[in-house]
Amino acid sequence: MSGMKPRRRKTLGRLVATAAVAILLGPASAAELDAVVARGELVWAADQEGGGPHVFLDPDAPGRLTGFEVELAELLAAELGVKARFQQGQWDRLPLLLGRSVDCVINGVELLPERQRDYHCSRPYYAYGLQLIARRESPLDTVEKLANSGPAGRWRVGVLTGSAAEIFLRSRPELAVDVIGYDGTIDSLEQVQSRVLDAALMDDCIFNFYADRFAALRAVGRPLGGGYYTVLTARDTPRLSAAIDEGLGKLIADGRLKSLYDRWDLAGRQQILALRDAAEIPTAGRRTVGRLVVETLPMLLSAAGMTVLLACLAFPLAVALGLGIAVGRLYGPPWLRPAITAFVEVVRGTPLMLQLYAIFFLLPKVGLALPALVAAVAGLALNYSAYESEIYRAGFKAVPTGQFEAALALGMTKWQALRHVIVPQAVRLVMPPVTNDFIAMFKDTSVCSVITVVELTKRYSVLALSTGRIVELAVVTAILYLAMSWPLALLSRRFEARQEKTP
Amino acid sequence: MIGVEGLAKARGDVPVLVDVSLRAREGEVMAIVGPSGGGKSTLLRCLNGLEVFDAGAVEIAAHRMRPGPHPPRLLEAVRRDVGMVFQQFNLFPHLTVLENVSLGPRVVARLPVAEARARALAQLDRVGLAAFAASRPATLSGGQQQRVAIARALALAPRVMLFDEPTSALDPAMSAEVMETIVALARAGQTMVVVTHDHAFARRAATQVVELVAGRITRTGPPADILGP
Repeated sequence: MSGMKPRRRKTLGRLVATAAVAILLGPASAAELDAVVARGELVWAADQEGGGPHVFLDPDAPGRLTGFEVELAELLAAELGVKARFQQGQWDRLPLLLGRSVDCVINGVELLPERQRDYHCSRPYYAYGLQLIARRESPLDTVEKLANSGPAGRWRVGVLTGSAAEIFLRSRPELAVDVIGYDGTIDSLEQVQSRVLDAALMDDCIFNFYADRFAALRAVGRPLGGGYYTVLTARDTPRLSAAIDEGLGKLIADGRLKSLYDRWDLAGRQQILALRDAAEIPTAGRRTVGRLVVETLPMLLSAAGMTVLLACLAFPLAVALGLGIAVGRLYGPPWLRPAITAFVEVVRGTPLMLQLYAIFFLLPKVGLALPALVAAVAGLALNYSAYESEIYRAGFKAVPTGQFEAALALGMTKWQALRHVIVPQAVRLVMPPVTNDFIAMFKDTSVCSVITVVELTKRYSVLALSTGRIVELAVVTAILYLAMSWPLALLSRRFEARQEKTP
Repeated sequence: MIGVEGLAKARGDVPVLVDVSLRAREGEVMAIVGPSGGGKSTLLRCLNGLEVFDAGAVEIAAHRMRPGPHPPRLLEAVRRDVGMVFQQFNLFPHLTVLENVSLGPRVVARLPVAEARARALAQLDRVGLAAFAASRPATLSGGQQQRVAIARALALAPRVMLFDEPTSALDPAMSAEVMETIVALARAGQTMVVVTHDHAFARRAATQVVELVAGRITRTGPPADILGP
């Protein structure tokens, strides 16, 4: 697809886990056709978070999976004489499941040269077009207008990160377009509707499916380009791959695929004509690891720069805000304390991702459209302020009461005592846990990719997807994260050592 | 200078102070003695508003405090005129000795930094610790720390000094050096109230001794009358 990457939280932990699993297990031998038949099940993988019309939860029958690919998997399994069994997976990691617990991937996976090199790609089963979507009253009313800037400068066009739409736009620098990548399938439609974006580019079938929900939007002109979806199987199961190709051929020839697409309003006849004429696409050559690193490192480094920028802007804000919250909660006027406590509990009790999402996607609906970087810094700072405030609260409580009394006995006001005596001591006490949180924030910046900020994990994800070198790039990315957090860990240890010296 | 009238305080149902009345004129040194748990420290802390009381009144350095919570302005005014030294010193560990002593002049009396430092140095000199101005409190002996705490309180030129068992946390040698400092202060005419277990010290320095038992004043008078010759 160009379509099914769900929103998610990506961490260093996951990168390392991905690499470790792949290295420890080594190349696995996949179940060949006879093993599938003996088992009586064809296990196919997809990501149900991706949305319609591919694979999604039936709104009319909660818990039931539906979508045209669900039906396609059932038809293919029947061709092999077995039942289909669904396996949930993370969209951009689906191919990793091949040969472990999964026989094939059916989830809008585009036929690309790199994929042909690393996996067996079946004959195409669906032809998608890349459709430009804009608001009905938008001056962007033909695709040709993308060549020149609009009334407000370059066009801002949203795409699903790592999708064919993104590859298409990024490979055409001559267009007057700023490409903004989103993690969710229909995030870009939300942002076009909120006037944050001028347009979105996505697989036509996705917009057709969701068009009723976005009544203010319309398809502009004809598709800009397109390609095919393919079923992925492991390279070492040639007979299973052949059986799937054969099954697809039958479904195309005997009209069952056409009637499936007609039932899903996917223009069955046009699909069959396009699939019959599908041209071969070339297979990519394999790069050495050294070449891969040389080619991707500059991009990974600049994304690491964004990670550093986010953490270095957000963390001081979080610390200042957290200090204010802790002081307010312990020493502020009694009427203010419940409100502060409620803020801390709400922020701690909800995921950072949702908070970022609310700031970036919901605020524009009430007229406050923050740039992505500002929204990301604000979200990180707010989220971490709640945690920092709890650390400070513990720090304040660890300062002996005699200190406060001694300051008061000198005639200081409560606030003078806090400022000159209590806060400086509390800050020293909490230095190690606060530094620890700074390190944690470096990794949490990756969550900001859900609001279009391209930081290190996001860049890794995109590169891993486009090169197919998931493990090698995971190692490089993990090393970059370590290079960022290691100096902070050393700093933290120095604070601790100094504290032990001065009781 | 100090007048306490019918002071009463209870924690829950337990009376801590019962109808305590006492007076001290300017330049007097009052020692409060008695068994542990008798309310000596609580009485002292009522004098500078670190504790509130339930009934009676406290007059100190021309300020008057009533039962119940005290207004912040009144407390700050009382404490500027009434210095306090604690059993556990309570020096600020993140500041140097000089910064400990100059913090009050700088923040409370709002003196310029240079003037506050000069005043702090003079008080450190008075307790014989000017040489330790740049040290951290943790590097000093207990006796030295307590003398710094005395200098810290003196730096605001208080009209009354309160001492809450100033030598109880010290071994005899260090205790003696702190006592010398306090006796010298008494000789110089500083009005003060000292809560102490040390009868020898009370005999030497006090002009008046008050014995507090179970929250009540049982005896009061010159040291020789209360403590014997």
